[in-house]
Amino acid sequence: MSSSTRERVLRHINTVGLLQPALHQATHAPYPDTIDHTLYRAYTRGVHDVGGEPDVPIQWEEKEEEQWELNTFATCECLAWRGVWNAEERRRRQNVDVGQTVYLGLPYYGRWLLTAARILVDKQYVTLTELVNKIEEVKKRHEQNSSR
Amino acid sequence: MSDKHKPQPMVDEVSDFEILEMAVRELAIEKGLFSADDHRRWTEYVHTLGPVPAARLVAKAWLDPEYKKLAVTDGVKASLAVGVDWINSPPTGFGTPSDYCNLRVLEDTPKLKHVVVCTLCSCYPRPILGQSPEWYRTPNYRRRLVRWPRQVLAEFGLQLSPEVEIRVADSNQKTRYIVLPVRPAGTEGWTEDQLTEIVTRDCLIGVAVPKPGVTTNAKRPVHPAVHPVHHDH
Repeated sequence: MSSSTRERVLRHINTVGLLQPALHQATHAPYPDTIDHTLYRAYTRGVHDVGGEPDVPIQWEEKEEEQWELNTFATCECLAWRGVWNAEERRRRQNVDVGQTVYLGLPYYGRWLLTAARILVDKQYVTLTELVNKIEEVKKRHEQNSSR
Repeated sequence: MSDKHKPQPMVDEVSDFEILEMAVRELAIEKGLFSADDHRRWTEYVHTLGPVPAARLVAKAWLDPEYKKLAVTDGVKASLAVGVDWINSPPTGFGTPSDYCNLRVLEDTPKLKHVVVCTLCSCYPRPILGQSPEWYRTPNYRRRLVRWPRQVLAEFGLQLSPEVEIRVADSNQKTRYIVLPVRPAGTEGWTEDQLTEIVTRDCLIGVAVPKPGVTTNAKRPVHPAVHPVHHDH
């Protein structure tokens, strides 16, 4: 890698490493003349492409798996097994199309799950109304079961 | 963080993720996209997975130079000897939908240490190593390992001397990796079973090296699940 290329790459990954979803910021939807080439490139990358971005050391931990996480994994694999989606579109939908705020802000399998819900609607296997109604039904059923 | 900001518990503290998970699974089954039996079979398959087959592959390679040759040239074929058929073990009969059948076994030497990451997501050789640990999926590990590998390995408790070259393998959808570490001193005359025991998951990812007497991953804090996976199907 030439030194100028290396410099460009480092500037890029250092810039994107600092982009964070901010809930309140006065500069949201900025004027076009405030976006220089470096920022433009940073904003238009795939948000999952994090290799080399700066970050601070963290405590490495193990995590117990939630039942819904394993179920989500199985659901996503079964949808693929039976041809609803393939690995490439799953990756794009789970890792890129969600955008940076969701990508960094939701748990790992939370992203998978949201994407599984969206594929059912996007490919018109269910309507949005059916999905909303089902969510309500599950909630009600759960409330009844637990108040018994 | 999660403790301080815990929302007011709903009835029985069911999370939005749990609600949505049930809704999506039930809708998919009702619409015939897959069957409840598919889901059950897949879950059972996942429960059979873990790092032991990969550990045994390493032990066999340490003991048998011919097998080691096979392992480093054709990881998928070498997997058969440890009971993992990348095509037929999963219930699909065509491999898992998200782990393409290509395993590379990366051989360490005293001067070369391999370590595995997936910078783009969390690609991992599930059929032979089980589900990836949460830390492997964190943006932090994925960000830093490719740029500061020596430092990150030190955080995992693996201090390498400066003469040892570190090679980071970046997994992707089509290629998965396990590390074949150097057989440690003090294991002369050991059986395959004994050797298998010291090859932990972390050794196979490359953030640890096997040591006689060490049969578990380094102790780390464990974030407990609210409703952990139950294995009684």
